[in-house]
Amino acid sequence: MTTQTETSVNDDLQGLIEIAQLATAARDAMSDEIVSRMAGTMSEGLILLDRLTRNEGLMKLLQVLDRQDSQNLLIAFSEAIHTTSQEIAAAPPAKGGVGCLMRVVRDPGTLEGIRFLTMLGKYMSKGLREQHRHGD
Amino acid sequence: MRILVVGGGTGGTIVANNLARRLSSETRNRKVRITMLSASDKHMYQPGLLYVAFGQMTPDELYRDQKSLLESSIDFYVDPVEKFHLDKNNVVTKSGKTHEYDILVIATGSRIVPEQIPGLSEGAETFYTEASAVQLFKRLRNFEGGKIAVVVGVPHKCPIAPVELIFSMHDYFKSRGIRDKVEIKYHYPIGRIHTIENVAKWAKPEFDRMGIEYETLFNVKEVDIANNVVRSEEETESHYDLLIAIPPHCGMEVIEDNNLGVGGWIPTDRHKLTMNGFDNVYVVGDTTNLPVSKTGSAAHFEAEVISENIASIIKIGTPVRDYDGKVYCFIETGHDSATYAMFNYKNPPDLKPSSQPMHWFKMAYNKMYWTSVRGLL
Repeated sequence: MTTQTETSVNDDLQGLIEIAQLATAARDAMSDEIVSRMAGTMSEGLILLDRLTRNEGLMKLLQVLDRQDSQNLLIAFSEAIHTTSQEIAAAPPAKGGVGCLMRVVRDPGTLEGIRFLTMLGKYMSKGLREQHRHGD
Repeated sequence: MRILVVGGGTGGTIVANNLARRLSSETRNRKVRITMLSASDKHMYQPGLLYVAFGQMTPDELYRDQKSLLESSIDFYVDPVEKFHLDKNNVVTKSGKTHEYDILVIATGSRIVPEQIPGLSEGAETFYTEASAVQLFKRLRNFEGGKIAVVVGVPHKCPIAPVELIFSMHDYFKSRGIRDKVEIKYHYPIGRIHTIENVAKWAKPEFDRMGIEYETLFNVKEVDIANNVVRSEEETESHYDLLIAIPPHCGMEVIEDNNLGVGGWIPTDRHKLTMNGFDNVYVVGDTTNLPVSKTGSAAHFEAEVISENIASIIKIGTPVRDYDGKVYCFIETGHDSATYAMFNYKNPPDLKPSSQPMHWFKMAYNKMYWTSVRGLL
């Protein structure tokens, strides 16, 4: 008559046998080429990850993008790309000329956009000057 | 602080990359400048040559652009050094440019010198260069039977190479179904079949099992190409149909030309890894005269100590680590099994039974090497 303990031990052994069978099956399925390819991918992945995590510019960008206002900007930017591509596709070719330019400049949205780009340029050049001053 | 690394092999590259990582803020603030001078714009994974000799790798897999392996803060020039002025802290390169330094790392490596043994260059195959490894593969592939003699010159890079060659040949001919038609005879210069005693003890029964004939105390004197005979200094000789040599090695000519060390090996402090008499000159890898194996792994472990010490000297004014002679060698015991030998100045290797997972570890390392020289592993 099998005791409860014996049953438990048998179950454990069966579990171990199944794990061993799995390991054996994995080993049998492997080949030098598979190992080399996996190691090659892992090696390149590690190098890429290392480059990314040690890239100060990228890390700073990620920090900035963590902030809600930056995320709002990114969302707005994404939507703007989508809307622009749709409008450009539907709009007739621009006629050109001063009149056309005046109509564009009179549009409040375009003026907001120009202000945004001007501010971006101003702060970028200020930041670059700061970095050069500190020798970074 | 100007750090100059001369040589872009395993040791030099790891030192430069580790330093760039440890001193990233100092290099960014221009307080430290790291420069590497190398003879080539390519970096070769030299252990891969044995695989080329058996058709398991192709030569193009062994190379990367040196620049792609270096941290971006390292100034890299392909311009080998011709003059070392250690008393003036500068070197002069082939192009005539002078590079001043505060700390110098010499990592010029070693080279094969088969011409030291009459007839060896013309009469023996080897696998220590790309062309010779491809040539050896072609000879092995066309070999249909007969006697193969393996001879070993001293000193030589990678002490495990002779036994790995034997194991690989045994498996290669077995897989072609002609092992019974091939006689393999191994010749070794000292009184046992390997310089490391525990490797010799481990390899002997393996050789017996595989039917490898061996002759110890065989120092190659000359190769008689006309008669297919190799003779030893001990007045013995062996006939062959195919002769394979582990050629003798020397340090680089530039080291000898500048009187930095006899045979191109620089006298080096075994723990500090500085050149004897010069505290600001470090020596790494094959270039040292240390009593450790001339392998990539020794260069790797030495490079870690050197870079950590240079960085700590810059940061706190004193080195922090000693090199303990650590070496880790994979040993391919055939086409699908391997083991390893790990040892240092105090502890000899204790070899474990070979296994397929260890072989895969080695296969994986062949790819992970590039991660290793970047200073990540």
